[in-house]
Amino acid sequence: MSTAPKTVQSKESSLSEKGLKAGSVGLIGAVVIGVSCIAPAYTLTAALGPTVSEVGVHLPAIFLVGFIPMLLVALGYRELNNAMPDAGTSFTWATRAFGPWIGWMGGWGLIAATIIVLSNLAAVAVDFFYLMLAQIFSNPELGELSKILPLNIATTLVFIALACWISYRGMETTKGVQYVLVAFQLLVLGWFAVSAFAHVANGTAFDATAISPDWFNPFAVDSFSQFAAGVSLSIFIYWGWDVTLTMNEETKNPEKTPGRAATITVLVIVTIYMTVALATLSFAGVGETGLGAGNPENQSSIFAVLAGPVMGPFAILMSLAILSSSAASLQSTFVSPARTMLAMGHYRAISPKFGKISPTYKSPSFATIAAAIAAAAFYVITRTVSENALWDTITALGMMICFYYGITALACVWFFRAEAFRGARAFFFKFLAPLVGGVILLVMFVKTALDSMDPEYGSGSSVGGVGLVFVLGMGVILLGVVVMLVMYRVRPEFFKGKVLTRA
Amino acid sequence: MRYVVGYTANARGHDAVHLAVALARNHDVSLDLVLVIPEDSPFNAVYPPEAGYNDILNEQAQRWLDEGLALVPDDVTARAHIRRGDSEAQTLIDAAVEFDAAALVIGATNSGLFKRFTIGSVAGSLLHSSPVPVALAPQGYHRTEPITRLSCGFGTRPGADELLDVAVESARDRALPLRLVSLLALDGGNSPGLADAAWVHAADRLAAVGSSVEADDSAAGVPEPEIVVAQGRTIEEAVDRLDWEDGEILLIGSSRLAQQRATFLGTTANRILRALPVPMIVVPRDYTRQSS
Repeated sequence: MSTAPKTVQSKESSLSEKGLKAGSVGLIGAVVIGVSCIAPAYTLTAALGPTVSEVGVHLPAIFLVGFIPMLLVALGYRELNNAMPDAGTSFTWATRAFGPWIGWMGGWGLIAATIIVLSNLAAVAVDFFYLMLAQIFSNPELGELSKILPLNIATTLVFIALACWISYRGMETTKGVQYVLVAFQLLVLGWFAVSAFAHVANGTAFDATAISPDWFNPFAVDSFSQFAAGVSLSIFIYWGWDVTLTMNEETKNPEKTPGRAATITVLVIVTIYMTVALATLSFAGVGETGLGAGNPENQSSIFAVLAGPVMGPFAILMSLAILSSSAASLQSTFVSPARTMLAMGHYRAISPKFGKISPTYKSPSFATIAAAIAAAAFYVITRTVSENALWDTITALGMMICFYYGITALACVWFFRAEAFRGARAFFFKFLAPLVGGVILLVMFVKTALDSMDPEYGSGSSVGGVGLVFVLGMGVILLGVVVMLVMYRVRPEFFKGKVLTRA
Repeated sequence: MRYVVGYTANARGHDAVHLAVALARNHDVSLDLVLVIPEDSPFNAVYPPEAGYNDILNEQAQRWLDEGLALVPDDVTARAHIRRGDSEAQTLIDAAVEFDAAALVIGATNSGLFKRFTIGSVAGSLLHSSPVPVALAPQGYHRTEPITRLSCGFGTRPGADELLDVAVESARDRALPLRLVSLLALDGGNSPGLADAAWVHAADRLAAVGSSVEADDSAAGVPEPEIVVAQGRTIEEAVDRLDWEDGEILLIGSSRLAQQRATFLGTTANRILRALPVPMIVVPRDYTRQSS
């Protein structure tokens, strides 16, 4: 009566290879996913100030130019994702292209970037959480609570822990919630822009500044340093856009939906960025006093300062939009470093403990908790050392994205080198686009890294006479090198190319 | 006949397999171990995008199921399945319906520190919606020998007769001694009068059901059903006062709140569950066994 036990995979053809329900996402759905990955309300409040501090009124130009390297690299990313679907993404691809050492650092860069953004997301969420409390109870003192260091750190850690727990439990943002979040963000940002222009028209703006064509001229930026810093920041504002490009089976029409969705998403995003950037500059100018967008006081979180004067009592909607979108991003962003660490553990590039999957929730258990601890540690260190933690982390984040994205793009060029000249399509997508994009990003990375050694760079915090952004960015990369060398001693099989072979 | 076992690679899943094996040995039953892995929502907006996690998860699920199958002794047939779904409970129900399973076997949660049974969220939803009987293994259930006695929780509410039908028939099919259990929660503790009334009522119903069942079949060799009335200040105390065999299982009906042909754990059943040292089976409302 006994038969040989065997496991039967359910033959549900309605699943994509990613484990997502196939054919479940239409065009609008894909655009919603793209916009939600970018989280424009959060991105703008975090990046607008630091970018203005670098390039002043040329913000619109830099926002437009910043999209180009993102687009070029994303095209390469899509090719790699199709040829080698793998949970390790940049780590696996760079290992297959350049061998274990560069691959390891590529993975480290990706993990570091996502860890940094986690801590920044949590911090932004906390700021707007207190701001919203202040708005609800009409008591500005509550908003000031977020400036009390121990309370701020404690609240941020609570937010990180909550998001980690939700991610660990495998809970996800559903379609309905995501639609509402995205629509709400766009609506509130539009409202903000319209109100700002109305103030300008009524003569009630803080520092009404006439829009000039010069704002759109990237070559009018004073120096290459500022240009590089601006571009590496604007990489961050488009980070997330390429998610639409990598969709396929989960869309209703895999042939057309991803391309169209990517195009519509970028149009929506560029429109909203341009409108909000112009509205902010027209309303507040780039002056360094009061509400001016050039005032360092305002730059860590521009909407926290401007939403009130611009939107009046409705500023609470802005707080709600940013709080909700950053909270949702916080939860979904946990998935990524956890899965990369899981893949690295799986391939024995780090301790196999990171490869553990929770039997109850089927999520990467060890790696998710590790990501939370790293994000918490990063935040505590930055917050204690820096005068303006949000600003400096965003600048360091721009650098880190340039680093791992640059490596990924060049991995694409090298991996496909044999096919690169087989026809125009292959040449463009597998060679030219990623090559140009990767080189631009790595140049931006090196330039920003060199400039950031200046103690005056970013918010002007420094450690031992060296700019904090440099210490943060390079410190994280150097830490990666150290950990990598330790791993080489502890488990050399990965580094000898025995687990993942070069293609 | 097939039983679907809701398997997870932890103590809860192991308890479920042990109970399923015990049940299978009473009757010619094959087991289907079903491991549910979550279906990612594309709307969760994971970034940067990756495509390979699913492979790693599948590989892991495969290994987990191999471990699960290894718990099943050679004399019981078992297959393993990986299923994907948003809701673990709903996916298990779908599998049970698809396999035309006679029961779903799951473990209670393993986090209960003091109570014998604490219900996890999956078990909770199954106990309130399953169209097939749900067998619940208590925490740390290690026994895999056949079940030795069937108890049936018996009350005066509508539906009691149907449950009694199921109990009498199940006991006969498996040649198991049947025990009717009437639990009384009384403020003052004992009340001989009420206990007697409960006993007489149970005997009446049993006689009515028993005669209709025995009309079509001879139940030779099966001892006469036993009727016990247990009292206590609370239902829990009444449960505690009863003696339970190691190999016993308690059959219990669904609340009147249940939809047609679905389980719904009522408040009394819930309290019984909390004190019960043996596995229990919750039978859907209006459930009639298709005689095999």
